[in-house]
Amino acid sequence: MTIGRGRPWPLVALAGVVAGAWLSRAARGWLDVVEVQGRSMAPTLLPGDRLLVERLTYRRHPPRAGDVVLAFDPRTPERELIKRVHAAGPHLDLRGDAPDASTDSRAFGALPRSAVQWRAAFRYWPPDRIGGLRR
Amino acid sequence: MITLRSLLRPTRRVHAHCDIPCGIYDPEQARIEAESCLRIIEKHDASDDKLFRARCIHVKEERAELVKHHLDVLWHDYFKPEHLEKYPDLHETFWKTTKQASKVKQSMDAAAARDLLSMIDTVDEMWKSTGGPEKTRVSGRPA
Repeated sequence: MTIGRGRPWPLVALAGVVAGAWLSRAARGWLDVVEVQGRSMAPTLLPGDRLLVERLTYRRHPPRAGDVVLAFDPRTPERELIKRVHAAGPHLDLRGDAPDASTDSRAFGALPRSAVQWRAAFRYWPPDRIGGLRR
Repeated sequence: MITLRSLLRPTRRVHAHCDIPCGIYDPEQARIEAESCLRIIEKHDASDDKLFRARCIHVKEERAELVKHHLDVLWHDYFKPEHLEKYPDLHETFWKTTKQASKVKQSMDAAAARDLLSMIDTVDEMWKSTGGPEKTRVSGRPA
């Protein structure tokens, strides 16, 4: 990757993340940084990717289809999952972006809206894949 | 002083999780192969047929290898860190049991094969008490 003239956005993004991360020290309750394990969100997310996550959005409105969200595994509550909202209604249908290698709502069922509070906003690591999480 | 590095260091891990291959586990699979080893050793000892005895040795080594394989799958795929908290001797148990399977592979000792069965039964107890039968077998099998 080149952080060259004419393409300053990674630097701007990094500055934003740093500011955000600093805020998270002050307000850990609504901003945090997490690391991805597992491959069920490939190619969007790969093991070792680091993300900025926040939980202000879902105080304003419920999760929407396409969002990448965190939720505790209903079968193994100590495991926090990262999945994409496949369909949003009274319940959320969560799926991995790699359907052939994902354990998700097809296995454990749809989750109530209240089970999802954190939204994955942005990948800040690795540097050559800084960016959003749209498909 | 807050460093850039500390700001960017993740505070928790999130799992893009996948159960694949199948999430089906049962120590019975290892036990059946270990029972085969024991029975083959007994048949070997009861026979005078040179060819049959040679086949017994060959087949028993294959079965013992399968015991090790099935135990390994349980060890690294079924059992999780929280199980280790409940059974701090889990690694020791698996290490000794797979070593015993190696012993059965190398020898024609029926007593060693019986010991292996009882060690697999210890693994089976750990599997059962961690909810294995409900979580890792498909329900609805006729009694």
